[in-house]
Amino acid sequence: MLRISNLYKAFGDVRAVDGLSLEIQKGEIFGLLGPNGAGKTTTVNIAVGLLKPDAGSVEILDHGSPENPATRRVLGIAPQALALYDELTGEENVAFFGRMAGLRGVRLREQVKSALRFVDLYDRRADRVSTYSGGMKRRLNLAVAMVHEPELLLLDEPTVGVDPQSRNAILEKVAALRDLGRTVIYTTHYMEEAQRLCDRVGIIDRGRLLALDTVDGLLSEHGSRKVLIAETPAGEIRVPTDRPLEELNRLQAESRLLSFRLERPDLESVFLKLTGRRLRD
Amino acid sequence: MRETIAIALKDLRLLLRDKAGFFFVFFFPLLIAIFFGTVFVDEGGPTNRLKVFVIDEDGTSASRSFVERLMAAPELEARSASRQEASNRVRRGEATAYIVVLKGFAEGNSFAGNPPAVELGVDPSRKAEQAMLEGTLIKYASEKLSELFSDTDKSLSSLKLSREQVLKNSNIPAAERAELDRFLGDLSGVLARAPQRANETGEEGGAFQPLKIRNADVQTHWEGPRRSYDITFPQGVMWGVLGCAAAFGISLVVERTRGTLVRLRMAPIRRGQILAGKALACFITMVTLSIVLLGFGRLVFGVRPDSLLKLALALIAVGICFVGIMMLLSVLGRTEQAAAGIGWSAISVMAMVGGGMLPLFFMPKWLQAISHFSPVKWGILAIEGAIWRGFSYTELLLPCAVLVAIGIVSFAAGERAFKWFE
Repeated sequence: MLRISNLYKAFGDVRAVDGLSLEIQKGEIFGLLGPNGAGKTTTVNIAVGLLKPDAGSVEILDHGSPENPATRRVLGIAPQALALYDELTGEENVAFFGRMAGLRGVRLREQVKSALRFVDLYDRRADRVSTYSGGMKRRLNLAVAMVHEPELLLLDEPTVGVDPQSRNAILEKVAALRDLGRTVIYTTHYMEEAQRLCDRVGIIDRGRLLALDTVDGLLSEHGSRKVLIAETPAGEIRVPTDRPLEELNRLQAESRLLSFRLERPDLESVFLKLTGRRLRD
Repeated sequence: MRETIAIALKDLRLLLRDKAGFFFVFFFPLLIAIFFGTVFVDEGGPTNRLKVFVIDEDGTSASRSFVERLMAAPELEARSASRQEASNRVRRGEATAYIVVLKGFAEGNSFAGNPPAVELGVDPSRKAEQAMLEGTLIKYASEKLSELFSDTDKSLSSLKLSREQVLKNSNIPAAERAELDRFLGDLSGVLARAPQRANETGEEGGAFQPLKIRNADVQTHWEGPRRSYDITFPQGVMWGVLGCAAAFGISLVVERTRGTLVRLRMAPIRRGQILAGKALACFITMVTLSIVLLGFGRLVFGVRPDSLLKLALALIAVGICFVGIMMLLSVLGRTEQAAAGIGWSAISVMAMVGGGMLPLFFMPKWLQAISHFSPVKWGILAIEGAIWRGFSYTELLLPCAVLVAIGIVSFAAGERAFKWFE
């Protein structure tokens, strides 16, 4: 669906993207995971033709370069900054950007209705965006991105600054996009989101792609071992292990267990292992 | 094109929903035009009349006639009052001066050394207007003299009386008395022969005339501003247009800072379409507000253009110019605050230098010379040219061409800087 080849982009002395190459398959949710300033937004901006790379290329398969306006018709983007007109209603915002994407007449009206329903904002469609909560604005941002049914959706940190309830609602909507057969590039610095949503995840730091695989693949390749944590009368015992059941039996034979739990590795530990830093450092 | 129109409609909708912005674009200029039009209002035109009180202490037919002339004088706003009241009101600054037609006014004789006398009391803070007022009084006193000499019988009788008074007046030296008597005698002879000479030559005007003035009907060619609103409404239009340029310029910065421009740039349209949409909305607003303002001026204050077509050309040229300036304003600052600050400063200077705040003829010569560099000057000139300056199409061409040129250059420079900002 999208092929990024050997991409370079610098702002002054800062290398935002440093030799990035990746390929996104049709119908997958691809996560671009990295801390703030890793180069995720720059990569997205180049992918949609907003920025010109210093070197390398981006190609939307069967459509060509996104620098060509006609190619951008198959792209939809929900930028990290809420790109909405506060003094227009939700419906007017979606309709306006629908028109910009080339929709007209009955199709436009139907698509606007469908997009607003998808993000559960149809009942508030006639209200001005200035009256929306942060979570509602994020959902509207998503509706605007998908009103013209793009083949490839780029969601740049779509849950930044929203409450847990709204965040959960947005994640559900993104997961629903998979069922609709959409291809999604999802950038985030929340590893739980990438772990929950993405078919494949690329881990990016300082403009470089450090690893790319399915979540399970990344965990098994780069994740730390599982940790069995047991509570005994003598105190807490933490045992890293690949065979937790055997280890639990051994501990039970040695002392009386008050409780136990198993800590599984996550993408945070993958990032830690790859960079020596935590995601939110 | 449909995308461009959609962007323009969106911007117009945003403007309509921004109450403060709408007020400053549409109502503020109207208030300026009405306020200053009312401040300078005068039924005969924009010239200020001197407010005076007139007191007739002579009470003769001659003094009454003189007072009537002063009351009807277009240079004066004259009212009757008692000497005490007039003096007090001038002292309080409520009038420029008071004029007392003194007792014995009718008996005054300019040829006998005791001309008719008036007393003039001028507000000390308005001494500059004293000379003008004295000139006006002499003008209306001369009218009386001129009238006297245009009636041969009255002239002869007056000259006869003057000769008698001169001969009796011992205050005049004997030699001078003899000279005056001879002069008045000769003048009587000339006046007595005038009707006979007129019959022989067939020419009219046998009576004495100090100066023959033939009035030309200039009004058919150029009427000038008919009322103060003819001047203040074009200024109001310019303020509206300036406000509009600032509002749309800042709105482009807002699009940039709030991310909607990024979204527009990611849409399958070209940068030129986005800017064209913004420019179209700005142009439509400018022309609409000009029509609304001038329509209001026409309906309520009688501001009447000489030619609607010329006015349309002027407004289109003004629109093109200030759409270009809007584009330039939009790249003056990276933030809304910076753009607004720099934009309004630039606009204020343009308006100040270009006659948007004060009519150019009130300004010193050097500032009038600098005004050539302000598009506001050319905008006002073009609109005034179509409303009351009586410009021909050829004369209108210069301000319109300057406006369009400024618009094109500004838009091109702004568009280039806009790319750089991205």
